[in-house]
Amino acid sequence: MKLLKANAGPSLLLLVAMPIVSVAHHSAAMFDLQKTITVTGTVTSFQFTNPHSWLIIMGKGPDGKVQEWSFEADGPSTLMRAGIKVSSVVPGDKVTMTTHPMKDGRPAGTWLALTKSDGSVLAPRGAPPPGEKAPARAG
Amino acid sequence: MRLSQHSTVDGSGRRVPKALTPLLLSLCVGGTAWGQAAPQSIQQYATSWEEFQALKEQAHGGTKMTWSTLPDWTGIWSRETSAGLKFDPAQKTQQATTAVVTPAYKEKLVKKLENFNRGVEWDQLTSCLPAGYPRWLTEPYLREFVLRPEESWLINEQLEEIRRIYTDGRGHIPEDEAYPLWEGDSIAFWNGDTLVIHTNHVKKGQYQRLQPDYSDKTTTVEQWRKAGPNLIEDVVDVYDPEGLAKPWHVIQRYERVTTPDLRIAYWSCEENNNVVQKPDGGTQSNLPGEKGYKDPGKLQDSLSQGKVPGSKK
Repeated sequence: MKLLKANAGPSLLLLVAMPIVSVAHHSAAMFDLQKTITVTGTVTSFQFTNPHSWLIIMGKGPDGKVQEWSFEADGPSTLMRAGIKVSSVVPGDKVTMTTHPMKDGRPAGTWLALTKSDGSVLAPRGAPPPGEKAPARAG
Repeated sequence: MRLSQHSTVDGSGRRVPKALTPLLLSLCVGGTAWGQAAPQSIQQYATSWEEFQALKEQAHGGTKMTWSTLPDWTGIWSRETSAGLKFDPAQKTQQATTAVVTPAYKEKLVKKLENFNRGVEWDQLTSCLPAGYPRWLTEPYLREFVLRPEESWLINEQLEEIRRIYTDGRGHIPEDEAYPLWEGDSIAFWNGDTLVIHTNHVKKGQYQRLQPDYSDKTTTVEQWRKAGPNLIEDVVDVYDPEGLAKPWHVIQRYERVTTPDLRIAYWSCEENNNVVQKPDGGTQSNLPGEKGYKDPGKLQDSLSQGKVPGSKK
């Protein structure tokens, strides 16, 4: 698996500065692309599916409230091109998600970058396998 | 034979696009500058069929392909990264179309962008309908191009959209049998290693989100070729007497995907589609626990018990 390691800070900063979201299948209008937050918690499920994958976390957002959060990512083939496999995240993993949240305030957003407890980062758009560009998407 | 300004002919007779720099011109709608960038042609064909026939004449009727002479387009491909969802990769943004659209279609586009700016947008893909051709050219995901002497299949992973390209010498569907088709009706010939395709009878749609619509009168001429070991290129001329004030010339590129052991799997749109349309027409996702949410992990269990996924009964 190709991952960014703990010292990937500059890459992550670059990543979150880019208004790119995984919305090939639907409009991005529901997400606040001008706002980036982090949510820290424990993975409860990883839906490795089309048209989108979803990662469900019981976690704490900026308001400090612990609740279930849902994060949308690309479908399996696009994630695999970014080095993210179905086995890359499993229930029980402690993680921090960087996300563009929903505009309406519900606990959900786009999967921009997921930092695991070992410092590795899973970024659907930011960490393609060596020699390959990130898959094409736009919001 | 007439050639449009944006192309020249190389030594083998292949049409070769000129530098993209001239694309950075103003978009004209009914003669009024609007938006950016469109190739301007001095001489244009009146119709796509006229262009197709001219190219066929240039190819002396076309190259007879056999299994041993077909080019090798094997592998997995995907649209060039930098193009995003722009129909014309030369556009600066999705909104900044290079198309020269008619006033009526400009009005549609302006309305679409106004709606988007107030958060209202709905895509037919979200209803699990196909992208359809020519939007098909712009979709991301994985592609395979399967070539046979008499017919080729151009496949995109998303919704298993397959274009069937007939190279056996047949004509188009007779007019009295024709109706709009998601991928249109495509006939083609080979000019050396270039596949020249004419497509008509498409369903109306949009080139891509935040971009112009096209009518079911749209027809195209495409010239596909392997431009390098890891690059397949499609030079496209789009004609639409309702939507375009002049033909739209774009170049689509598809790059080889090199992820080891990657395979194309069946792409089910309803497997985890919890996106719904809001009363204002906008897009919203149902989240776990909310009314109407369809848990993908329980989808088949629900169906086997005769339940409608997402219903409370």
